[in-house]
Amino acid sequence: MLNGIGAAASRHSVFARACVAVVGVGASLVTHQALASYEVMAVTNGGTIDGSVTLTGAAPGQAAIKVSKNQDYCGQTIPDPAYTVDSSGGLANVIVYLKDITKGKAAPAEPLALVNTKCMFSPRVQGAMVSQQVKISSDDTVLHNTHPQNAETNATIFNVALPFKGFSVTKPLPTMPMMIKVKCDAHEWMHAWIMELDHPYYATTSADGHFTIKDVPPGTYTLAVWHEVAGEKSAPVVVAAGQTVKPKITLAAK
Amino acid sequence: MFYRVGQLIPVFAGLLFAAGSATAAGTGSVKTGKLVYERYCLSCHGAEGNGQGEAAEYMAVKPRDYRQGTYKWRTTPSGSLPLDSDLEHTLLNGLHGTYMPTWRALDQRSRRDVISYIKTFSPRFATEKPQDPIVIPPDPGYSDASVARGTAVYKKYNCSQCHGPGGQGDGPSAHELKDDWGNAIVPYDLTKGHVKCGDQSTDIYRVFMTGLAGTPMPTFADSMSSADAWDLVHFIQSLSPGYAKNMMAAAADRKTGATQ
Repeated sequence: MLNGIGAAASRHSVFARACVAVVGVGASLVTHQALASYEVMAVTNGGTIDGSVTLTGAAPGQAAIKVSKNQDYCGQTIPDPAYTVDSSGGLANVIVYLKDITKGKAAPAEPLALVNTKCMFSPRVQGAMVSQQVKISSDDTVLHNTHPQNAETNATIFNVALPFKGFSVTKPLPTMPMMIKVKCDAHEWMHAWIMELDHPYYATTSADGHFTIKDVPPGTYTLAVWHEVAGEKSAPVVVAAGQTVKPKITLAAK
Repeated sequence: MFYRVGQLIPVFAGLLFAAGSATAAGTGSVKTGKLVYERYCLSCHGAEGNGQGEAAEYMAVKPRDYRQGTYKWRTTPSGSLPLDSDLEHTLLNGLHGTYMPTWRALDQRSRRDVISYIKTFSPRFATEKPQDPIVIPPDPGYSDASVARGTAVYKKYNCSQCHGPGGQGDGPSAHELKDDWGNAIVPYDLTKGHVKCGDQSTDIYRVFMTGLAGTPMPTFADSMSSADAWDLVHFIQSLSPGYAKNMMAAAADRKTGATQ
């Protein structure tokens, strides 16, 4: 049922759609150009996708991250969170999203949160709408900088200093859908990912690999998953009015 | 002399038109700019504007890759495209400590033409507008008291994380830094006597507030007050050999009226 699809191919389709949107609107666009391809409407008879992502095969042994600076604050080692798997194989930190959905519920009103805490980013991965605000904060006494880059081109989106504990700042994400890799230059092991989409139908798996996407207009869609190491996969999903569909998705350990 | 209103309208219209095209003419000719680029810029920045011209491999500080629209010297906030006038500033002044020289020898028209051409390497210039430039309040002036406060500001904002306790670019995070192109990059040694993006106090202030796009240097615009920033500027100036002595001597001269 689930067909593996190359990581590059599926990422390009998001990007290609964004390019088409830009060309279509023309040179006068300033913001929200990518939203032109998504139309907000009231969803009264939506269905729910309530599924799970499981890792098949043993998660590769992960050496702890060796802390190379600020050990007095950050500690000597930090567990590598790349594969966070529970006792029954549920895989956390997987982004699950619909492809090619052009109409539906409104964008989330709240900004995203990205916290610098104990010399790591939290959350590790999350989805976002294009142009959504992200509130970046620090719980740490050491200096961090939050430096999101376009994951394909490495181009800097912005780079903001978080010089002391308790500081926070809210910034807008780009107006085009893209995969964003966030780094802290001051602590080279710190990474986070934000998948920016032009619609709000996405979720991130919890500690037991569970995810829920609500208020989906009835129809057939492509459900895609992304994990930072295990890669990408997609399969068709049929959503019926007022019903819950429970896809069980597996990703192979790499 | 008397003019009738009707005669004046074409004159006004002509003036308005001239003013309008002058504003738009921040934009030079892409066609002529390509010729200027091919003559003066291509050997370092490359035919595709990717910073990989023939000479680039011999350079420790790599020529700018224009394709991302990412520029270090800007008056605009972190994440914004630069203004045309920012790019012209770099052409006029070069970048100290790099292979980028001053291009004052080019006439203004050629500078503007080549800027228009360079902008075609990044699609961002066609779809985004630069944000408004940051505001730099006047320098309250170098003084021992300001330098003393600036020493505390340097600590408060953890500048030493990269630049080191003495400003020599040897902080705990100094050694693993990379730029957007994956090249190793080191924090600036602030005791060298010159600063890469200009030696004026406003140049130093600007770097804190805009960050240096494409490098690990972030913006402090959201966390640092302008009073703290000016004290930090003066502290950094005090690290330059001879700077404090010269400033104090100049101040003493002004007091006694010795300088004219």
